[in-house]
Amino acid sequence: MFDFSWNMLTYFPPGISTYSEAHDDLFRLVYWLSVAIFLLVQITLVTFIFRYRNRPGHKSIYYHGNNVVEFVWTLAPTVLFAGLGLYSDEMWKVMKYSSRIPTPDMEIDVVGQAFNWHVRYPGADGILGKRHARYRSAQNLFGIDPTDAHGKDDIVMTGEFNLPINKNVVVHLSSVDVLHSYFLPNFRIKQDAVPGSWIEVWHNGTKSGKYELACAELCGSGHYAMRAVLNMQSDADFAKWMDGKITAKKAVLAAEAANPQPVAPPPAEAAAPEGEHHGSSH
Amino acid sequence: MAAVATQHDHAHVATHDESHAHDHAHHSVSFIRKYIFSTDHKTIAKQFLTTSMFFLLVGGAFALFIRWQLAYPGEPIPLVGKWLPDTLVSNGAVQPGFYTQLVTMHATVMIFFVIIPMATGAFANFCIPLMIGTDDMAMPTINMISFWLVPVAGLTIMSGFFVEGGTAAAGWTNYPPLSASGTGHMLWVIGVFLVGFSSILGGMNYLATTLNKRAKGMRMFDMPLTVWALFITSVLQVLGTPVLASAMSLLFVDQVFHAGIFIPENLLTPNGGLYPSGANVGAGGGGQPVLWQHLFWFYSHPAVYIMILPVMGVVSDVLATFARKAIFGYKAMVFAIMAIAFLGFVVWGHHMFLSGMSPLLGTTFMLSTIVIAVPSSIKIFNWLGTIWKGNIHFTSANLNALGFISTFVCGGLSGVFMAVGPIDVYIHDTYFIVAHIHYVLFGGALFGIFAGVYYWYPKMFGKMYNETLGKFHFFLTFITFNLCFFPMHMIGVGGHMRRIYDPYVYEFLKPFQPINQFITIFAIAMGFSQLILIFNLLWSLKFGRKAPRNPWRANTLEWAAPSHPGHGNFDRDITVYRGPYEFASPESKRDYLPQWIRPAHVEQETTIAEKH
Repeated sequence: MFDFSWNMLTYFPPGISTYSEAHDDLFRLVYWLSVAIFLLVQITLVTFIFRYRNRPGHKSIYYHGNNVVEFVWTLAPTVLFAGLGLYSDEMWKVMKYSSRIPTPDMEIDVVGQAFNWHVRYPGADGILGKRHARYRSAQNLFGIDPTDAHGKDDIVMTGEFNLPINKNVVVHLSSVDVLHSYFLPNFRIKQDAVPGSWIEVWHNGTKSGKYELACAELCGSGHYAMRAVLNMQSDADFAKWMDGKITAKKAVLAAEAANPQPVAPPPAEAAAPEGEHHGSSH
Repeated sequence: MAAVATQHDHAHVATHDESHAHDHAHHSVSFIRKYIFSTDHKTIAKQFLTTSMFFLLVGGAFALFIRWQLAYPGEPIPLVGKWLPDTLVSNGAVQPGFYTQLVTMHATVMIFFVIIPMATGAFANFCIPLMIGTDDMAMPTINMISFWLVPVAGLTIMSGFFVEGGTAAAGWTNYPPLSASGTGHMLWVIGVFLVGFSSILGGMNYLATTLNKRAKGMRMFDMPLTVWALFITSVLQVLGTPVLASAMSLLFVDQVFHAGIFIPENLLTPNGGLYPSGANVGAGGGGQPVLWQHLFWFYSHPAVYIMILPVMGVVSDVLATFARKAIFGYKAMVFAIMAIAFLGFVVWGHHMFLSGMSPLLGTTFMLSTIVIAVPSSIKIFNWLGTIWKGNIHFTSANLNALGFISTFVCGGLSGVFMAVGPIDVYIHDTYFIVAHIHYVLFGGALFGIFAGVYYWYPKMFGKMYNETLGKFHFFLTFITFNLCFFPMHMIGVGGHMRRIYDPYVYEFLKPFQPINQFITIFAIAMGFSQLILIFNLLWSLKFGRKAPRNPWRANTLEWAAPSHPGHGNFDRDITVYRGPYEFASPESKRDYLPQWIRPAHVEQETTIAEKH
């Protein structure tokens, strides 16, 4: 009827991050361990069901248990599972501990908004401008500090973004409304985007191509469509793409400098004076 | 100690007198007092059972709508689609908003109104007084209130379907900020608060009853494992549920007064304005959404054990009775239940590996969680030890108990994957989790509940159920269950997120549509298989063979009472002389030896008991 395999390991989407292979290896270890225990128990169960079924002349024995056996089958899983826990902790540290985050080659901000992903690049100066929730409004999702010059040239993208391959990218992750979750299946990484907090995630993709970024935390009726596309590019291609973005941003800034009025005020701006008022009163 | 003993004896005599008094007063009890606002633990157990069965059908229907949408997105729901209002469906097909309501209500109904009321409400009420040989609960009126809170809470939550904006739609975990606005979410919070109170009142009662009202001669270690499991579950209910109640109260304050407890500073609403919140006032203020997750999971992880522990007790009793053999390692089983309950309180963080909490905490929770596999393994091994060299009878009750072991092993092992932090990062919020929870709560809890319902049906209603239908129901359910839920592991490994209305928006999920259709076919088959159970239970009520006192030749005290027992339960004095699992004992010529039979008169008294 369709391509179906009972072997779970065949279902992984292709892994393309520096730790996807280690992740899949760990998964494989737990998987085969589980398959072994699963078969051991199920076969024992079925054997006992068959051998000790009720039939004429068959009798059960009077037996309440055995402490040596209890001790052995308490100790064995303790050693096995505690060992597994300690073993896995190393990979957990690599993925999560802030002290283990490698030197970033690049830092970006990502915020979730129902039902879109927005990404901020540092722009021409290579530095992300300061941000604070008090500056946040529908026009300034990242809450970029208007008084910080580094923020002026920052580039914001929605729904699609590019990253260079073989670079340690540190993502500062947050949300402007409800919880979202930043899920890159091919990178084997997922992290909740929590409004009010900035959480660091890092990854390093090793293959160019287009990959999907999904939202994995229920965020409302449009949750299912909160999808973005990540273009992984070679260094040269990424630099070329980034140069184009920087040039375009410079043109916009120059136009704004020449004419202090915004070029084309978005229609939503008039609808949200309250937000602006809050922003400026702090 | 002497004083306690005297009081105990006194209570026992009083019980006996009271049961006579009740016989005389029997006719004067009005219909309403007898069947509706009853304080009799058996009636309350039946009320819990029937209410939960009703909600099982409701929750099951929700699940089938979900499955239909995942298999055939955008196509009209067969049969019922055209009857649903336009706010929920368009041209008979599920709308995205309705879909999120469905996933929320399916889980809410199944957890708070099916599994918990059945596992604790129905079984604790029916089993505890009968299995410890007493006339009723310690606090019968509180017991009645504990039941009546459930339908009130259920109606409150269901009424969300009729308010503007629809019912709760933030998942059963109800994470703010998403859940911090909307009438449907307020009703949900009130409903869960009420059903939580039912749990607290019930738990108190079960604790008081087990500690104070055991029959003469019954030590704690003479109690059947069902009672032990329910006793320890009650501790979880009494300690855990108040935390849930406090979380609900805090969220309510956020919803109504915009206090900003869980709402950080300057959140945007969909129309671009700022979310009203006390946290907006003053620079740098702000609530913390992750606080909700801590409070919620501090209750809801132990709640997983509230759902599974009673059933582990039931399965132990059913297995021992039908294997005609003592529980292997009775004390080890009791200590394993205690260990699971204790560890249950220190592992809630494994639901929050991705919440942004300190990764150092992640390490701690990973290790504590993985250690739960140890007492769980002990239980599995002891069950296998129990049927080893037994004489296994394949009644419907026992088939469900054996099915429980088989599926619980699978659910337990998939739990190890998510206990391992780095793997959880990937499979968190995917169908792997959905597969796991259903292997534990359907394959585990519900098979155990079926086992218990079949096992105690004769005592509950005084009639035997139909074995052929019972076996048919078990095999159909067991096969369709595995074909429905096992493939969910696969698409979970493929990265298929949960709670998504249309997975095929994503390129990488498009190949999984045939698997989703496969799952849906067996989900529908499994859903309709449950009609056999309901038919069997109802049909046997009228046409079933009259049940003898002890149809399974079991050892525990409930089988000393008439089938079914009147108000006051026992028509004789009950004294306990031995443990609950004396099967194939050399003391008796038969393969069982009930707890209440006097040691010097084993043959004579067992013969008399069998004639009843």
